[in-house]
Formats: sequence, structure tokens, C-alpha cells
Amino acid sequence: MLDRLTRRIVRWARRKSPWVLHFNSGGCNGCDIEIVDLLTPRYDVERLGILKEASPRHADVLLCTGPVTRQSRDRLRRIYEQIPAPKWVVAVGSCSCSGGVFHDGYNVLGGIDQVLPVDVYVPGCPCRPEAIINGLIRLLEEIE
Amino acid sequence: MNVDLVLEALHEHFPTDPLEPRIVPVDETIVTLTPENVRPAVQMLIERFDLRHLSAITGIDTGDEIELLYHFWDGQGLTLRTSLPRENSHTVTLIDLIPGAAFYEREVSEMLHVLFDGHPTPDRFLLPDDWEGEPPLRRGVPLACQTDNLENGELSDQRHSRFKGEARP
Amino acid sequence: MSRITIPIGPQHPALKEPLSLKLVAEGERIVESALRIGYAHRGLERIFQNRNYVQNVHVVERVCGICSHVHTTAYCQGVEALLGLEVPPRALYLRTLLCELERIHSHLLWLGVLAEHIGFTTIFMYAWRDREIVLDIMEELSGGRVAHAVNVIGGVRIDIDPEYAHSILARFDDLERQIEVFLGVILHERTFQVRTHGIGRLTAEQVRRYCVVGPVARASGIDVDMRRDAPYAAYDQLDFRVIVAHEGDVWARTMVRTMESVESLQMCRQLLHAMPEGPLAVRAPRRVPPGEVVSRCEAPRGELVYYIRSDGSDRPARVKVRTPTLPALAALSEQLQDINIADVPTVLAGVDLCIACADR
Repeated sequence: MLDRLTRRIVRWARRKSPWVLHFNSGGCNGCDIEIVDLLTPRYDVERLGILKEASPRHADVLLCTGPVTRQSRDRLRRIYEQIPAPKWVVAVGSCSCSGGVFHDGYNVLGGIDQVLPVDVYVPGCPCRPEAIINGLIRLLEEIE
Repeated sequence: MNVDLVLEALHEHFPTDPLEPRIVPVDETIVTLTPENVRPAVQMLIERFDLRHLSAITGIDTGDEIELLYHFWDGQGLTLRTSLPRENSHTVTLIDLIPGAAFYEREVSEMLHVLFDGHPTPDRFLLPDDWEGEPPLRRGVPLACQTDNLENGELSDQRHSRFKGEARP
Repeated sequence: MSRITIPIGPQHPALKEPLSLKLVAEGERIVESALRIGYAHRGLERIFQNRNYVQNVHVVERVCGICSHVHTTAYCQGVEALLGLEVPPRALYLRTLLCELERIHSHLLWLGVLAEHIGFTTIFMYAWRDREIVLDIMEELSGGRVAHAVNVIGGVRIDIDPEYAHSILARFDDLERQIEVFLGVILHERTFQVRTHGIGRLTAEQVRRYCVVGPVARASGIDVDMRRDAPYAAYDQLDFRVIVAHEGDVWARTMVRTMESVESLQMCRQLLHAMPEGPLAVRAPRRVPPGEVVSRCEAPRGELVYYIRSDGSDRPARVKVRTPTLPALAALSEQLQDINIADVPTVLAGVDLCIACADR
């Protein structure tokens, strides 16, 4: 009974404060500046409990932008491994969903899902901050 | 920069070079030199005209030869053009005259396999550390991503999706 | 004193983009630095050869998300020159309007990032909030906040009516008041000055040696600006100052960029008041006759060069892009020499690096 209650509290805490880590694995920056925009007064995701963390060890959600380039692949894997479980991955932007306009580049492996298991895809080139917030809310609903 | 004075000086110093100056948009004069005369020409341009702003070095594989274009700018554009053979393409570095040429030369070097003799750090610049393939901008090199997905030399069309959840409308 | 190596990146709170910097420190001072880029190398110059000229407009826009419009401007200008097209004046004015709006948005973005690295989060929030005014205008004009797709080969695809021009001018007054606040901070706020004066200094000689361009060069006394010296689009019709400072440190760069934003606002006003009537684009053929062109623009970070060679088909034979961040990276090791570890994020932010541009 106590165990079930504790698990409910932990799940509630996870839903109410998903801390995100942002990593750009090779994108053009368009989606990155829209992600940073989420912290600024107009969108202000801190009211949803979302904080942008500096270290993978502190994060719950990995927000990835950009297609995966060969040079970034191992670094992306290592960052994902460093995030403590339970962890989720959100692919932000068309490039991280599928490679986008760069999909046939000689140095581009494709979207994030070529390297990591993705939970939420947020398409757009670049995607609007509202779409990213929508993606994060969908993720929080899934966590429930 | 007075382009006419520059052209006169180049004629004077390199009488046997074709030069063949022509103007292309946008207000850019292109001059052709032999590979061994590029470095002395740049030295002369720096000493006589204080022309030190190197905007870019373009490398092109035309199929017959490797063309190098050194784009300078000082009020007007001046490009020094030279051709290298496709095998064993090498020329002398400009890094001691113009330190800003370092990154441009490294990029041309790895994209087109052109060696710049005397360049102190010819390591990987843009291409990944484990790049095994051909120089990407050489003709005949396919665009496909050269990765572990190659099966029998063909790029596998299988996209491995690692999507965890169910797709919802 | 023993030396330690401090790796920074590719994932690091001080970096917005992937870049690997290895710093060797003796105590608190940096003695050596080594840079590795290429994490965002998408092989664009090769991708351009695989797409036709029209498709390339969309790819060129995504070389960099922050200065996307000026990339398409440089590319479209180059292709229009190869085709011998005469772009209508109204299109040139609209192109220039977007270029200047993009400069303001880029400089405000940069100001916020620099402030965040110094620890002045308030200015980060204020700058990005005020940047939303510019993004709203760009979105109303083109449909996109960050990628606008305004340029087509032969002109532009957006238009503006006099009533809407009035509403833009009203919002410019608000924005100008806000930028005056930032200028006040830069000139009078003691903590800001202590954190930025004398940091990351580059002399004019170093700038020339490394061929650095843009606000970093202008902050060290080099008076070069492609908008004035090699005018393109509608810049030959505008009356504007080129801002030059002489200290060469992060403070001087902040002054140059902020004052450039004020000048850009003035230029936008001039463009809106003097907008000529006429068509928005001319028809462009799909095949481009053989030729070559060197197209130069002044991106928010400096001189942007596009070299395009055509071979008579509908795909370019070669598109070479030299972005302004590349020479700035070459000069980075000089700026990181002999500074404190704590000042490294300030120097990195002060240069306004765009690694996506540099890597292509």
C-alpha cells in the first residue's frame, strides 16, 4: 500500500517537473533557437515545470535537434547513456525526425531514431515553440 | 584596390603566365596563373598593394583537372585561378603569408585530396575522425552516406526506426 | 605549475552548438587551445550539386537557421547574375527589409546569449522578449519566424501594403525604446563593463592576418562593410552609418552590434517609406547557361561569400559557401590565450560563433 502510494508520488513528481537536456547533433540552429525561446518570457515553459539542465545526469528528457552526423553519433549515444533512467527522447524538428533536407548527405545518418529510441517526434522546419510544447505535453501524458 | 595596376604588376612579374583576365559577376576579376606562381603572386600583392584579405579558397574537380580559386577582396574582387593535375595534386601553402588561409586550405585538402606542402596541421577539419571514404567533392564519388549500412557496396534502403511508442493520430 | 586539460563540448552548458574545445590551463590561465568542429557537417556543398537551382534555395536557407535569409539572398543574387535577370526594385527593397530585420533579430539573440554567459539573465530575458517583436513582423510578412522562404530566383514571393507598413513602423518605435535600454546597460552598468572590458581583445593587425570579418573586425577598427563597399540589393539607395570601434574587446563588439541594430531600424524605416511600386519577381528559366559568379553579402556575422559555377544544366556544378564564422574561428586561439578560465564563455559568446554556418 505504502509502495503503491510512493510510486504514485514519484510518477506525479516526474510529470510535474520534467527536466530537459538539449543537444544539437548537427542541425542548422533553427530548431535550437526555438527551443531556447521556450525559456523566454513569451513561452516560459518553467510554468510547466520544465527546466533546462546543463548536465545529462540531472535530466529526464533529451531534446534532440538536427540530423545525426557521423561525428555526433557516438557523442549522442554517450549522452543518452549518461541520463539516468527513466528517460525519454524527443526528436525536435524534421531533421531529427528523418534527416530533413539533409537526408542524403554523405555525413548524415538520418534522424535521431537511427541511434536512439525516440518517444515523441515533433516535425517542422523549424518547428514552432508551440509545437515543441505540444510534444512535451504529449510526452507527459504518456508518462502518466 | 586598382585592378588595372594589379594586372599590370602581374604581367610584369609573370610574363609567361596566361593571365587571361576576365570579369565575372559581381565585379570580380579572375586571373589564371601556373601553380608555382601563385605563392610569389600573393607575396607580391601583399608587398605592393597590401592586399591581404583572402575571402575564400574554392576547389573544383572539373573532370580534367583540379581548379583552385583564391578569392581576394579590397574594394573589388580579385580571384587567382590555378589548375592542378588530378593525380598527385599538391601546391604550396600560403599560411605563413596569410594565417587566415589555414582553415580554407584544410577544407580543400580533405574535400578534394589536395596537399598543401608546408601546412603544419593537415588533420581532419570538417570530416569525421573515422572517415574512410573518398574525398567527397571529387567527381564520381556517390552522394550516399558511407556508413555501416553499406551492404555489398550498395546503401541499404532500410530505415531502422527505433520509435518506442504507438503512433497516435 | 602543472598543466591540466579541460575539454569543453560538444555538449556543454556554455555552448549552444556542438563544438569541441580543448583548453590547457596552468592554474587559472589558459595557455593553449585546440578546436575541433565538424559535428554539424552535413556535406551541403555536395548536396547542392544533387539538387536543381530551385530546390537549392530551400537547402541554402537551412545552412544556418539564424541568418537564413541572407544565405538565400547571396545565392539568389548569384544565380540571377548568371541568368542575367533584372530583379524588380520592389523585390530588392523587400529583400533588403528582411535582411535588416534578420540582422536585428540576430544581434538581439546574440545579446541575450552573451548576457546569459556573463550571468546577466535579466538582459537575456529582455532581449529575447523584444526579439519576439521582430519575429512577429517576419512571421506576418512571410509565414515563418525563423525560416522565411521569401527569396525566389528572380525576386521575392511576399508583398506588403501601406496599412501594414504603418503597423510595422509603430512597432519599431517600441523596439527602439527597448534597444536604448540595452545601450544604457552597456554604457553605464558597471558589472557589465567589468565583465567585458579588455576580454578577448584582437588588434587590427591580428584581424587582418586572420581575415576576420563582420562586427568582430569592425570592433577592432577595420572599417569594412559589404553593404556600403560592395552594395547589393537596395543598399545603394539607403543612407546609413557603418559602426566602428577601436578597443577590440567583447565590450566593443557589444557596442558595435547594438548600435548596428539601431542603424538597421533606421534602414528599415527608410525602406518602408521609399518602397517603389512594381512587380515582385521576374520569371527565371530552369537551366542556367555556363558561367561563374562570386556573390558577396553582409550577413549579421560578416562577409558571406558564395561562388557558383554553372554548366548549362539545371543543377549547379559547384556551390562554394564561405561563411563569416570560419575566419573568426581561426582567430579564436589568439583570443583564448592568457585569459582566465571563467572568461572563456564570455569570449566564445563575444565572437558570435555560428558553428552550423562554419561546418555546413
